[in-house]
Amino acid sequence: MIQASARSRCVTVTTTEEKPAVDVDDDVDLEFVEMIKKTGGPNIQNCYQCGTCSGSCPAGAFTNYLVRGIIRKALLGLKEEVISSPDLWFCTTCYACTDRCPQDVKPTDVIKAIRNVAVAEGYMLGPHQKVAAKVVEAAHAVPLDKESWQNLRVKVGLEPVPPNASGNPWAIDEIRKITKKSGFEKLIGYEEFMKAQKEKAKKKAEEKKSQKKE
Amino acid sequence: MTESKTDTATKVVDFREPRVGVFLCHCGLNIAGTLDMDDLEEYSKKLADVVFVKQNRYTCADPGQDEIRKAIAEHDLTRVVVAACSPRMHEPTFRTTVKDAGLNEFYFEMANIREHCSWCHPKGEATQEKAKEIIKMAVAKARLLAPLQKFEVPVTPKAMVIGGGVTGIHSALDLANMGFKTYLVERDESIGGHMAQLDKTFPTLDCSICIEGPKMVECSRNPNIEIISYADILSVDGYIGNFRVKILKKARYVIQSECTGCGECVESCPIEYPNSWEQNLGTRKAISIPFPQAVPLVFTINMDHCIECFMCIDACGDRQAINFSQEPEEIEVEVGTIVVATGFHSMYEPIPGSESKPAEKGYYGYGKFDNVLTALEVERLVCAGGPTGGEVIRRSDGKHPKRVGFIQCVGSRDINKYEYCSNFCCMYTIKNSVLIKEHEPDTEIYIFYIDMRTSGKGYEDFYRRGRESGFTFIKGRPYEVIEDPDTKNLIIRTEDALLGEPIEVEVDLLILSTAGEPSEGTNELGSKLHITRSGDGFFMESHPKLKPLDTPVDGIYLAGACQGLKDIPYSVAQGSGAAARAATVLSKKTVEIEPIVAVIDPETCVNTDRKCGICVDKCPYGAINALEGKAAVVNVANCHGCGTCVASCPQDAITQMHFTDEQIMAQIRAALEDKAEEKILVFACNWCCYSGSDLAGTSRFEYPPTARIIRVMCSGRVDTDFVAEAYRLGAGMVLVGGCHLPTDCHYISGNWVAKERIERYAKVVEGAGISPERLRWKEISAAEGLIFVNTIKEMSQQLEDIGIDKIKEENEKARKRIEAPLRRKGLIPTVKVAESDE
Amino acid sequence: MAKKRPAFYHFLGCVIPHRYPSVEKATKLVFEDLGMDLLDMVGATCCPAPGVFGSFDRVTWASIAARNLTIAEQGGYPITTGCNGCFASLWDSNYELKHDEELRKAVNENLAEIGREFKGSIEVTHYVDALYNTAGLPKIRKRVTHPLKGVRMALHPGCHWMRPKLLKQKDESERPHIFRELCEVSGAEYVPYKDELICCGAGGAVRTADVKVSLEFTKQKFDSLADAGGADIIVTPCPFCLLQLDLGQVEIQKYFGEEYVFDVMHVTELLALAFGHSPEEFGLGTHLQYMQRKSQPNWERLGIKV
Repeated sequence: MIQASARSRCVTVTTTEEKPAVDVDDDVDLEFVEMIKKTGGPNIQNCYQCGTCSGSCPAGAFTNYLVRGIIRKALLGLKEEVISSPDLWFCTTCYACTDRCPQDVKPTDVIKAIRNVAVAEGYMLGPHQKVAAKVVEAAHAVPLDKESWQNLRVKVGLEPVPPNASGNPWAIDEIRKITKKSGFEKLIGYEEFMKAQKEKAKKKAEEKKSQKKE
Repeated sequence: MTESKTDTATKVVDFREPRVGVFLCHCGLNIAGTLDMDDLEEYSKKLADVVFVKQNRYTCADPGQDEIRKAIAEHDLTRVVVAACSPRMHEPTFRTTVKDAGLNEFYFEMANIREHCSWCHPKGEATQEKAKEIIKMAVAKARLLAPLQKFEVPVTPKAMVIGGGVTGIHSALDLANMGFKTYLVERDESIGGHMAQLDKTFPTLDCSICIEGPKMVECSRNPNIEIISYADILSVDGYIGNFRVKILKKARYVIQSECTGCGECVESCPIEYPNSWEQNLGTRKAISIPFPQAVPLVFTINMDHCIECFMCIDACGDRQAINFSQEPEEIEVEVGTIVVATGFHSMYEPIPGSESKPAEKGYYGYGKFDNVLTALEVERLVCAGGPTGGEVIRRSDGKHPKRVGFIQCVGSRDINKYEYCSNFCCMYTIKNSVLIKEHEPDTEIYIFYIDMRTSGKGYEDFYRRGRESGFTFIKGRPYEVIEDPDTKNLIIRTEDALLGEPIEVEVDLLILSTAGEPSEGTNELGSKLHITRSGDGFFMESHPKLKPLDTPVDGIYLAGACQGLKDIPYSVAQGSGAAARAATVLSKKTVEIEPIVAVIDPETCVNTDRKCGICVDKCPYGAINALEGKAAVVNVANCHGCGTCVASCPQDAITQMHFTDEQIMAQIRAALEDKAEEKILVFACNWCCYSGSDLAGTSRFEYPPTARIIRVMCSGRVDTDFVAEAYRLGAGMVLVGGCHLPTDCHYISGNWVAKERIERYAKVVEGAGISPERLRWKEISAAEGLIFVNTIKEMSQQLEDIGIDKIKEENEKARKRIEAPLRRKGLIPTVKVAESDE
Repeated sequence: MAKKRPAFYHFLGCVIPHRYPSVEKATKLVFEDLGMDLLDMVGATCCPAPGVFGSFDRVTWASIAARNLTIAEQGGYPITTGCNGCFASLWDSNYELKHDEELRKAVNENLAEIGREFKGSIEVTHYVDALYNTAGLPKIRKRVTHPLKGVRMALHPGCHWMRPKLLKQKDESERPHIFRELCEVSGAEYVPYKDELICCGAGGAVRTADVKVSLEFTKQKFDSLADAGGADIIVTPCPFCLLQLDLGQVEIQKYFGEEYVFDVMHVTELLALAFGHSPEEFGLGTHLQYMQRKSQPNWERLGIKV
């Protein structure tokens, strides 16, 4: 008795939608596999499409994320299709696939490598840009950015500021230097992002002001 | 036999002044596509004593061989060098050619410019340079070659077949029917092997035991076959035509000659224990046979279970076939050839005597969930003669399953277990599905596969039959199976890879197509026979295409699944094939063997003055005698030609024919004449490391062209003087490659001696100021082409890291200490050996 | 001679000190009780999150992680951390930098900017390692004065401490036992459930990208646990999983309208309770679930009278 998995996603079959065939000349980037191999997925070409990874994948159960499919497309060289898809970002890196893969493809590392390529080519989701900027700005992805968090620490009997970068601005300087040198700031468009943030905040403040006046 | 061998070894044959002919093989584009052949021709012409050079498209083909014969006659050639493939491939071919032309066949040498050069390096200057030097080394050795005569030894016209499965049975029957006495040695109580356990066979659905049973009986009736069952191989000595095999016959506590097979003892026996032959699904009595068709039909008492009530003795009565004080018996037989047909072991299959439960961590809950079975267990269940009378039922409740799942590639094609495909599982799964459906037509069948592999005569038709029968084939390797604790049903979770959807399938019974693995004791038997295992653990054939049934040991052949998993028709064909290979030896009165034995010079040996005997200790075969006050003597009949004694002799009093010190020194000097600092000098054992380097070539693995390889029969032949000479000449690196410890050595223990010697010498070398990474001992098997490549890559990198200047500096610093022993022995030539006119 | 007390550099990360300080406090109590020293890592930063930053730019990820490692290398003690994510970043980068020449070169070029260098001289551990291997179960068992008898305890071991299993060699990831044994010392009764080993949903930048999708994972785990008869507490060795399972209950209610009430604890909080520390001593009630719901842990079910 076959049943769609209890945690299977909903399938919509579309017959009217036109789907253009893959154009080998235009769509295929044979360098893509080499890029992935270099960035952390050296065994990607071992894949024989058995589906152990995609079966194991909890994200695949809730979303259109299909590890095996991404690897297949990557092996065909369909770089643009792979890196532009937001599905790529549904992997929680739980490594269930990696632990079960019979060919040591290390699918999780392959996905992370593909994400590196995607980011380098300008495909980064807004919230990710924000969290990346947070680390550059405060040296912590989840910073101690409100007084209430400090109060919470005091409440449990700790000093208000921990000995990490939150209380040591020099550490943040060091992170800035690293991210500048490595090109990370440029990669995520840090300056532009912060400028936009500032303007947004200013606008908000002004709006608030004018609202108050009214 | 001993006499004839000694005679020829000491026979003086005429030595002729060197006039070398070099034949450069294009091998189509295999060599000429990478190397500039005209350039090689020009180069070869300038080498010392070379009087003739000729290019051939294919030197091994008839026209090429004709050219050699013609040139020997026209140019009075006394040495022939063919620069082509590996000597392991065509050395015998060209020796015959040379012999046909009236020249001694040992006046021949090969330069391996294909496996060692054109196949593993890209076109370019360094590759061309390497090819030239390979030829130069071969010519240098050829100039010093001495004529030898092969030994002729008599052949014992008897054969041994190890393993009494369907393969061994066919091998034994063919040999016996050709008129040769054949010993069929079986470890278990009965011959028959796995085939006897199967219900039907694919794709024709013949009853397995109905077609194998008569063959088993035929073996027992054939006057030329002696079945030695319930027996283990203890040791194997000797060589082609003359093997001595020691066998231990385990005690059955039943006298074979007295037992009539009536079975009255079984009825009287009160004790039952799990029958491993029935996969522990059924039981047998403490005195019994494993299955009714057993051959020989002799009962065995299992002392682990017997309570010694002696009821069987009463039942046997006057026949008096039972003997509780029977002891295991050691016997020795002499045979001319051995066919190894030891089959395979199926993962999770119980081993006789162990009755062990499968591992807790079995795939897909095997061993933990009641209703997960292996395919072999299902063979017994589906068989009418099996423990359930042919009913495939659930272990949990004895009910017939309505939904049966099969998972393929369990343990196979899995980098974490066995990388290979187990070959027969796709077909037997379809077969078992057909049988189950035949028994219970309303059963639903689900087959989970990665790829269906049904190549074979009639196999694809059978796959279609499966589809037509309504089996559901699902492409997807399940990642998890869970058990419903209430129903004991199994829930299989997988992706349907063709849909791209995760699915769950609930079945009542799950059958695992478990991997075949090398049978128990493969390693131990391999060590006793000195035959190699491939990377997958099965026995390795001499050549994957042209010598699939041969092993590196002359006179020992392989057949069936012990060489790699295969189905029944293929196994039977190999059994007959191996019988034919064995008969090519047995059908002759004598066989020729290589005269590359060790000879001791009584003038130089010091055992005359004081007790030495080092060679006696080092000889793996006990072939040397050193009586007090007399020079040591090699008993050439027992000498296998490894050369370990030669390298161990402190007086250099021993010579290995065809691998003399002078010849090897000449190769070293030729290899290191130019840019020695940039090179890795490799001494490679013929059976392991050299074969591994050949495999690197045939696999077209690329590595830096820095290595210069000298072939020795055994790493035990590598004298520290050779290494010293290499450093004296400025070598960058030295690698000594042997077989894996502890037991892979073709000559029992040559590798142990070599390893100890090289490691000891490494301390001297390091003490002299040479970086330790510049001398390396490495065990590389014939199957490890990749390891050879990685070793050379690594050493090339180290060479580069150390740098030429530092190497020169180290060599200069070490010169005095390194040269001292060479100087003392007078091994340093006073005049520079001019190998070329350049 | 008294045996030298084991000492670890204490890597806090972000979530523990900035959102779940009760874990930081409980850890300090538990390590002190077991005679193990925790040393401050002054100026340590975000690890940075392996699935997030590792997905953006591997070299930058490894550089920032390596900077944290160099802080410990200066003192020469191993690091310990109570977060699976931090553990993964620090352990993985430590491993990769020791085995990948090219990466090490690139990272040290970045570190040279701030006068640091990765040397590869220390090891990275998780609290679970420190507790299970360094302190050892017998010693922990001796400290248990208030066993949580009758408390039904479900576990969420999370992913990055034990996976990838072949690389980390910590536990058999399909049937782990180490974390369970550690938690069982508390005296609570282990409740198995089908989806115990699946991810909480937060990792790999998924919570950041789409909190609803990440909550689907969490919901599945809760449903699976409910199918197994439910539990009084869920214990995890990771603050990010803790956040997802704890605060996630509030979020699930908001997005899906379904209400779950589980008390969720970090393993050091569980041990602090078992060692007899009162929940106020480390502020168990400050978990974000309680702050947002204005609720309290179910003291009765926990067997703690307040």
